[in-house]
This record gives sequence, structure tokens and C-alpha cells, in this order.
Amino acid sequence: MIPFILKRLGSGVIVLVTVSALTFFLLHASSGSIARNILGDQATPEQVALKEAQLGLDQPVIVRYGTWIADTLRGDLGSSWFTSEPVAASLSTRIPVTMVMVFTAMILIAIMATLVGVAAAVKRGWVDRTVQVGAVIGDSIPGFVIGIFLVTAVAIQLQIFPATSTISPGAGADAWVLSLTLPVVALLINGVTGGAQQIRSAVIKQLERDYVRTLRSRGIGEKEILFKHVLRSAAPAGLTVLSLQLVNMLGGVVILESIFALPGMGPLAVTATAQNDQPVVMGVVMYTVAVVIVVNLLVDLANGWLNPKVRAS
Amino acid sequence: MAATTAVALSAALALTACGGSSSGSAQGAAPGKPTVTSLTLGALQDVTSWDPAQAGVGNALQPYQIAYDSLLLREPDGKLSPMLATAWKYNDTKTVLTVDLRTDVTFSDGAKFDAEAAKANIDHFKKANGPQMSQLASVSEAKVVDADTVELGLKAPDPALEYYLSQAAGLMGSPKALETEAIKTESVGSGPYVMDKASTVKNSQAVFNAREGYWNKDLQKFSKVSYKVLTDITARTNALVSGQVDAAILDPKTGKQAEGARMKLESNQVDWQGLILFDRDGTKNPALKDVRVRQAINYAFDRKTILDQVLLGQGTPTSQPFGKDSGAWLDELENRYPYDPAKAKALLKEAGYESGVVLDVPLVPAFETQINVLKQQLADVGISLNAVGWSGPSFPSDVAAQKYTSMYFSLFQGEPWVAINQLASTRAFYNPFKNTTPELQAKIDAVQKGGGDSAKLAQEVNRYVVEEAWFAPLFRINQMYYHNDKVNVTPQIQQAVPSIYNYSPAK
Repeated sequence: MIPFILKRLGSGVIVLVTVSALTFFLLHASSGSIARNILGDQATPEQVALKEAQLGLDQPVIVRYGTWIADTLRGDLGSSWFTSEPVAASLSTRIPVTMVMVFTAMILIAIMATLVGVAAAVKRGWVDRTVQVGAVIGDSIPGFVIGIFLVTAVAIQLQIFPATSTISPGAGADAWVLSLTLPVVALLINGVTGGAQQIRSAVIKQLERDYVRTLRSRGIGEKEILFKHVLRSAAPAGLTVLSLQLVNMLGGVVILESIFALPGMGPLAVTATAQNDQPVVMGVVMYTVAVVIVVNLLVDLANGWLNPKVRAS
Repeated sequence: MAATTAVALSAALALTACGGSSSGSAQGAAPGKPTVTSLTLGALQDVTSWDPAQAGVGNALQPYQIAYDSLLLREPDGKLSPMLATAWKYNDTKTVLTVDLRTDVTFSDGAKFDAEAAKANIDHFKKANGPQMSQLASVSEAKVVDADTVELGLKAPDPALEYYLSQAAGLMGSPKALETEAIKTESVGSGPYVMDKASTVKNSQAVFNAREGYWNKDLQKFSKVSYKVLTDITARTNALVSGQVDAAILDPKTGKQAEGARMKLESNQVDWQGLILFDRDGTKNPALKDVRVRQAINYAFDRKTILDQVLLGQGTPTSQPFGKDSGAWLDELENRYPYDPAKAKALLKEAGYESGVVLDVPLVPAFETQINVLKQQLADVGISLNAVGWSGPSFPSDVAAQKYTSMYFSLFQGEPWVAINQLASTRAFYNPFKNTTPELQAKIDAVQKGGGDSAKLAQEVNRYVVEEAWFAPLFRINQMYYHNDKVNVTPQIQQAVPSIYNYSPAK
């Protein structure tokens, strides 16, 4: 198991370095005159030149990338060109918001999708048809549309939840719960329907396998077959779907965070990218890639734990 | 109920004062404290840095006013009043401005405000490379005369200097903090409110508490002011409609929703929209050299219809780029170019461009609808409007590099000298081809040396650029500033977002 983890971590580092280099050079290529953009339309050419020197933009891109790598290894991600805030500080206030939202949604999706998916696979009939129709509807409505609907109906009309975030550094648990409920519900509606559909297919596939027939012929109860054997074998497919959903969700979260004005990673990523705020974009990209690598690793580990055959391969 | 809130709030205030800074902890709940109310503003964007030298104009100036006093205070009608400066006077040649200062003001870190502090701020502003650094470009030095007098020496007369001292250039920060890294993320001013760093998150919200012992209680109307960044206009509308913020700027479409929720509108005209015909010497687009072509473009637009269609009628059609409150505005220029396609065609024919003119503009996403309407109306007179690529945030460098020969944009209508240096002079950003003529230059020089008459003299500059059709202005747009009934708001002349002093509790 340990060599497996080390190997995966090693390839993770290679991915991180490759992505960082690609992002850095692409940002450089599209940066135009960033100094002029920071200073705005009233700046003189001398001011622009001075700003470029202040940001180190007068150096070759390869030197700048080297400096960035060296600083990052020392734990210094630099400061935003536009807001002067240290990148590490802005990530540290924003990552918790996004992560709490995403992981709450993930856990709820895992539980609900499994329950609904298994019910559809076992009961079939109208339950199954409802799940199928639900999956089509859930998949076809974008998360942000659900988000806007929830704000209008629940926050503004019924005034049950706040329309935009009330999360601040000192905010209590109530602020977090109130602010994150609607975005999490929006994520759930999309996630559960899709996830349930996948789990349903995986369970049905297992139920049709020979070993289930064998187990039944030995007189083993349906519940034991389902929970001890079928679910275990269907789990890898479910986990893979969930990990893919998480990566998708990181995209959907960007829009939801804007709609609900949540101080998460989404608005930071959007603003930084639009402004070409290189230190922040680099920080956001590194964080996102790291999350994807870690989630994939965790899914592989869980698969290995559930199914020894995976470990062997 | 109100009493409970009051007790809770003053307790919270006292706690913050104890934890936050050493000053004022003993006088936590002193009598005569400000009325217990809070103000939450919905804002378009966060500040780039809390260093006052990085302040901007309009909505980018407002947050600084929460924490910083300025030398002069600009009243809602544009009149300049004393603030940290008690009096100011030019010499005869208008090259030295002597400023008398208050002596009873301290900064939130305990430093004293005096002539040395004012000089430190002017010097800092001049070298801090902030976005409004040009506001002090005419000032060569700041000299301390005595503890409460500072003298600004000018390289050349600057009719807008007093105005600038009510803007970014006039903001005064603690001299002890000015050159530090810390001031970038935490304000240190002498203003009515002090930042609550613990509750502040960059690009999300900034929270300020009323400062104990502030020198001018009239300007300190709330016990707490929060500045909530809501970049997304839907989120800003939702926050206002649901009562999370007290005031925010919206647009004609979202404004309908706010009106449905009984929000109050304070509307004023700050920007004009239209085409800027950059290449008046025909360097890249020879047709634009001919004044008849530029005038034909102006005659091609049915301004009223465009305004009604695109901005739901929220604005006033106009042919001039100078604002109504600027002093340079002229009634007779308002409808200088009425909708007259036949005249446009005749002018093009006369200029020898009967076979057509091609006009390239960058496709600015915010103005896509406008550009499409313009395209259709220009096609009717034989001009093809060609919307080319838009490089997003790098547009300032593209404009400066003469990449565009014309563009559709929304431009601030400021004080005449500010507007001239934005639009018409050879150092104006929106004059990237640096077009000028001896005639125009003479008019601009007259404004610069005009002193009290400069606004009136700027009418001649306005007349010149309108007759020469340097632009094709379409309309002045209404800024839609909405607020709830808990606060009173007075709109500020030439600002889309009012100054912080213009808000007060409704009761």
C-alpha cells in the first residue's frame, strides 16, 4: 500500500510542476501591459515603467518563473498585484468556505445518491422510473439556475435564508449554516440525481452477475447479498462517479459563489483571471490541482480498501 | 427593543476598542456617542490597497472616505468646504497654494496631524505610483511654513488642484504608517471610522467602527459602517432587496426589481456614452481625418431611440462630451447633431466617401448591444462598423498603443480641467493619437490660466471638439443608486456613488 501511495504522490508532484509551468508561461504570454492595467487610464508612461520594475516584469519570464518556484518552496506565494493582499492569506480565508460547501454537498450526495440508486435498482418499477426521470431533469438544469431560483423563492420571497453570504472571519456556526444551505441544496439537486443514476446502473449490473445467483442458491438473504456483496462490488463505480462530480462541482461552485456572494475560491479565481493577477491565479491553480490530486488519491485508496483486486493491480 | 440593541452595540463597540487599539479604551461608552445605527454599503469592488495614495475616483474613492479625512470636503453640489484644511489661497500667479490646517486632529494610531504630516502625505502620494498620481503632477513641492500651514508650489497653474485635494490627492494617512506594508491591508487615517481588521476579508467585506473622540461629530453619523463587496449585479440586487445592504448601485434592468421592492432611487448623470473617434489625423483610418466624415457619423444616430431601446430611457440624448454640472456645458450644443441620415449621406458624398467608410471598434462586452444598434444605424448611411476583438483588462495598454482608431465607451464627465486632461489635451488618455491644433491648444491654455473663469473658458474647448466632431456622444446616462428607507442618501454631483458624508440615518 505504501509504495502505491508514494507512487501516486510522486506523479501528483509532476502534475503540479507541469501545470504550474504551463500556467505561468500562458499568463505571461497573455499579460499585455499589466502595469498599465493596474494603474488605470490616468497613468503616464513613466509610471507604467516604474510599476513594471516594481513587479519584476522587466526580467525574463524564465527568471521570474524560477523566482516563483523558489518562493513557493519557501511557502511564500507572493501578494496580489491588484489588492496587495498576500496570496496565502486570501487562500486561507477562502478555502474553508469552498471546502465546507463542497464536502458537505459531497457527503450528502454520497448518502442520498446511494439510497436512491439502490432503491431504484432493487425495487425497479415506478421508483426506478422516477429516478430516471429525475436524473434527466437534474442533469438538464444548470446549478446556477437552481441557485437563482432558490435565492428568489426562499431568500427574497420567504426570507428564510440570507440572499447573500453573512460569513465573516468571526462569524458563528449559524452564519455558516444560513449562508451555505441554499448553495449546498443547489449542488445537491444536480449531484444526487446524476449520482443515483450511476449507482443504480452499477448495482443492477452486479445483481445480474453469476455470483449473486450462486449466493441466492445457497439461501443467503437478499439483504446480506445486497449490503455485503453487491454494494461492495458496485462501490468503485460509485466512488469514481463521486470523484468526477467533485471536480465538476469545483466548476459549478464558482458561479454559485458569485450568485450568493460567498467569500470562497470562485470569485477570487474569476477576478484574478479576468485581471491577469498572476500571483493569485497561480495560487488558485495550485490549490485546485492539489485538491483534484488528493481526491483521486483518496478514491483510489478507498477502492483498494473495498476491493483487494484493485490493490493488486 | 431599540434600547437593547443600543446596549448590545455599545458593548460591542467598547469591546472592539479595548481589543483593537490602546487609545480610547478608557472612554468606551462616553456620553454623546454617535446615534446607534449601522450602515452597510453594497460595493462594486474592493480597494486595491488601504494606502490612501492608491485611492481612485468615484466609487473607488468612497471606501477611503470611511477611514481617511481629506484636506478639502466636496459638498454634494460640488462646492469645496474646509475639512482638515481650514482655508486655502493662491498667490497672484496661481503657482503657490497656501493651505491652513486644523491643529486638533490625530490619526487612529495616535500620530498628530500637522503641516509635517500633510507634507509627508503629499510627498508619499507623488512617489507611491498610485492610479491617481497625475492629480499632483502639477505640484513640484510641499513646504512646511509652520505647524499649521503648508505651501504647495506648482510647476504650472492647475485649475483642478483644489478639486483634487478633495479627492484621492487630499486623503491624509498617518505619517508613521504611510511607508509600511501594513497600511496596504489596514487603514490608518484620522477619519470618522476605524477599521475592524478582525471582521474584514479582502474582496468580501470591510468593517469599520465609529472612532471615539472624532473631531467632527457631524460627519460621523453611524456607529458602524460596513463595506460589502458584491461584484455580481444580481447578488448586489438580491442583497439590497432582501435588506442585507442599505444602498447599492444597480442598472436600469435590475433597478426595476429594486423599485418593485420599494427601494428609493437617487439618480444623477455622471458619464456619457458614445463613440470616441480617436484617429482625427487619419494616421490609420484616413477617412477619419475629414471633419465631414466625423460629422456624418454624428448625424447617423437616432439617439433617443437607442437610449429607449438599450437603457430603457434612463438618460438624456446629447451631442457634447462635457457634463451638465461642469460649467463647460452649452445648451446650444445639446442637439448639435440631430438624427439626419440624409445629411450624413450628403456629407460623406461631399468628402468623397460615397462608396463607404469602414470604422473599427473593439467589441467591449458591456456595450455589445449598443455596438450592434450603432452598426445598423451607421450601415443606413453607408458606414460599416466593424467590431474587432477585445482584449479584456489589457484595454488601457491597447488604447495607449493606438490599437483602436475609435471605440464605444462610457466616460466620466468631471470638472472641466479634469475632463480636458482625460479627453482633449495631448496628455489625455482618451486622445492616444495626441491630436491637437494651435487653435485648440490656445483654448486649453486659456482654461489652465483662467483661475476662477476656467470653467467658462472650457466652454470654448467643448464647442471646438463638438464642431470638429472629435466624438460622437449619444447620451448622458442616469446612474441608478438605490437605497432602503433606513437611510437618507444625497446624490453627489459627478459621482455615481455618493460620498460617505452624504448618508444619514432616516430617523
